[in-house]
Amino acid sequence: MTNAQPIRVRVRFAKDGDLRFTGHLDLQRLFERALRRSGLPLRYSQGFNPKVRLNLASALPLGFSSEAELLDFWLDEALETAEIQQRLSAALPADIQIRQVEFVPNQLPSLQSSLRTSEYRVSFKPAVETRVIKEKLSQLLLQDNIPFTRRAKTVDLRQLLLSACWRETSAGDELVLEMKSTPEASGRPDELLNLLGLEPGTYQVCRTALIFSADKVEIIDG
Amino acid sequence: MDELQKSTIDSRLESILFQVEKPGRYVGGEHNQVRKPWDSVETHVALVFPDIYDLGQPNLGLAILYDILNRQPDILAERAFAPWVDMEAQLRENALPLFSLESKTPLNRFDILGFTLPYEQIYTNVLNILDLSGIPLLARERGPEHPLIIAGGQACYNPEPMADFIDAFAIGEGEELILDITKAYQTWKRSSTSRQTLLENLASIPGVYVPSLYEVAYNPDGTISSVSSRNPGAALPVQKRIVGKLPRATSRFLVPNVETVHDRISVEIMRGCTRGCRFCHAGMVNRPVREREPEEILEAVQAGLDATGYEQVGLLSLSSSDHTRILELIRGVYEKFKDTRVQVNLPSLRIASFSVDLMDELKDLRPGGGFTLAPEAATERMRAIINKPLDEEIILETARTIFEHGWLSLKLYFMIGLPQETMEDVQAILDLARKIKGIGKSMKGNRVRIHLGIATFIPKPHTPFQWYSIEDAQSLQAKIDLLKDGTRKSDIKMTYNPPDSTLLESWLSRGDRRLGPVILQAWKNGAKLDAWTERFNLPAWLKAFETCGVDPDFYTRRQRGLDEILPWDHISTGVSKRFLLTDLRLSLAGKTREDCRNTCYNCGILDAYGSLKPSEEEVYWGCP
Repeated sequence: MTNAQPIRVRVRFAKDGDLRFTGHLDLQRLFERALRRSGLPLRYSQGFNPKVRLNLASALPLGFSSEAELLDFWLDEALETAEIQQRLSAALPADIQIRQVEFVPNQLPSLQSSLRTSEYRVSFKPAVETRVIKEKLSQLLLQDNIPFTRRAKTVDLRQLLLSACWRETSAGDELVLEMKSTPEASGRPDELLNLLGLEPGTYQVCRTALIFSADKVEIIDG
Repeated sequence: MDELQKSTIDSRLESILFQVEKPGRYVGGEHNQVRKPWDSVETHVALVFPDIYDLGQPNLGLAILYDILNRQPDILAERAFAPWVDMEAQLRENALPLFSLESKTPLNRFDILGFTLPYEQIYTNVLNILDLSGIPLLARERGPEHPLIIAGGQACYNPEPMADFIDAFAIGEGEELILDITKAYQTWKRSSTSRQTLLENLASIPGVYVPSLYEVAYNPDGTISSVSSRNPGAALPVQKRIVGKLPRATSRFLVPNVETVHDRISVEIMRGCTRGCRFCHAGMVNRPVREREPEEILEAVQAGLDATGYEQVGLLSLSSSDHTRILELIRGVYEKFKDTRVQVNLPSLRIASFSVDLMDELKDLRPGGGFTLAPEAATERMRAIINKPLDEEIILETARTIFEHGWLSLKLYFMIGLPQETMEDVQAILDLARKIKGIGKSMKGNRVRIHLGIATFIPKPHTPFQWYSIEDAQSLQAKIDLLKDGTRKSDIKMTYNPPDSTLLESWLSRGDRRLGPVILQAWKNGAKLDAWTERFNLPAWLKAFETCGVDPDFYTRRQRGLDEILPWDHISTGVSKRFLLTDLRLSLAGKTREDCRNTCYNCGILDAYGSLKPSEEEVYWGCP
């Protein structure tokens, strides 16, 4: 076992296609195995049952795609980031694409504890009348509280939603949402869309950014 | 294929997947999955495991056949599994056929559907899958536009209950047979002759059983009067296929993106068993013993780990400690993997201190958790009857060694309902478990845990016990009650199967062709996913028997005549009926026949397969 300082590697990756249906715990296992297949000099956890040391920033709800997921893992020795990217990419399924690899200081807090908000882009199936959805959303945002029952507990979506704005694209209207993403309070776009009367499968959600400082709080509606 | 339909499937699937539990089961895309362009190959095979993905994907047989077929440039093999109830409802509601995981192609577009049938409780799932695929359930109703439906696996040594639904069974080991079948299919397809010709061509392949080419006649009392072949090419009996030497072990395991029951690679270290336990179906039908060399096993483990990133290996066999070079193998495994974090599972260990030593050789590679022993019976009389001779002192000594080496939890497997079993024999299970617990307690104190696993004996085809009836539910229940009561008082954990839950396995494993309509009716009554305790629908089955005018007790509650033609007699495992009968007589006399690797008892295997036996240097066969 090496005793040198571990090298902390941060990877930004996109996840889409069929892998949208692989949940958080399964994704963690998937990365463990892919990292082992990559042959990189991995740092393992200490203890009786050592595990690959890795850390995902935030659980992505089942069915969502993402352009901005973050993963930290640790190596025993430094390699070129290009080599890390190449070896890890080769070991990953095609539905995960590595966007960036960088080294970060070991003393940085964990990804989970410093994450503040997530930004999502919602696109709709052609059958969805976004005009109606827009109206409903405007009405909803006038309320002080938006109660929603999540696993037998009531949460206030109004507190979890930081901004919502519409964007016109050639493929139709898109809704951009910024929601809280902290261990204590985490917003889910599908819950909001449910209140707007949208069934899962009539829209697609993509996480577009993870934001690690809380500086945007105003609400913009379209 | 029709692109329009493909895009329709994709878009409907997209919304369905949001409505079902664990959608990752239905999308494929695993590391090491094989994708070939549909039009780039001549023949398309769907390998179907008729239970859900979580259970089916880790199946070693499936991995082997997937690998073999996909190595052929002119064949593609994709996978399909039974959908869970929520997915089935969605498929039906959205008028979607069941599809393969790789290319999402409806199963009815494949040339061949190959079902794996490792056990009987998945028969109704086969019907459900055919139905979801728009394929006629009955073989005789299928035409040239339908795929060829074949099946193989351990349950197929008695194929008769599924004879109405399967076009051709692959009997025995599939490694060579699957290619013979696909080649015959290709030749037939190029010839543009009738489906009947295809079936006749298949029947002429050794190891292939085409049930429609055989006629079964019955006596007035319901027993079979004759089984005859209706075609010169259809052999009688159909003899199982084996490979003389186990081919190179598969290492290209798929790595599921969602959790399954066994997330690990599996390497078969040995096939077959020489112990001759009289209740053991696997021990009888998988003869002869053929070993893999330690060097080859180590290589396969390394290749499998490299290809998957898994950290768990299962070294599989029916009796691991009987591998002639097991110590060398385990030491080799330790040396090779000691600096990794690999966990090595070595199941099916014989009751002997040597087995504990073996586990010890694995040191930190051995998995956590308890040790498992399977005495199967608790009195010497009973162990002689089942031919698992073992002094009680050896069992206790092994338990002592287990505790001494640091294990605190011990699981003990026993059977109840064995031939000639009395309440004393059942009481002895309790006594033995308590004795072992006492030993553990005196050595390690109160941390010691004993877990009793109680299985109900089912007399299986092709074993010396095949003529026996199963015990009635009431008397089985009395035995279970005795054990439940006793274990509760002694703080021993016990798990068991309620007598009702083993009925289905008993009927289907011991049945004949007349069960076809019953299976069909049970499925119509709503029976499916029968292997899932909470889904098993006994009333659906009982009603089906009634509707079809078939008496279920005829198959299970009746001692069969020694001169009776048994429903599976025309399927030969290579072990002769004469041998089974002699062994039954020895059992009745309380006599044992020890390990046959030293003394051959002439079971018939060497007569049937001796010509396939390679030289001693090349591969170890258990037959002297």
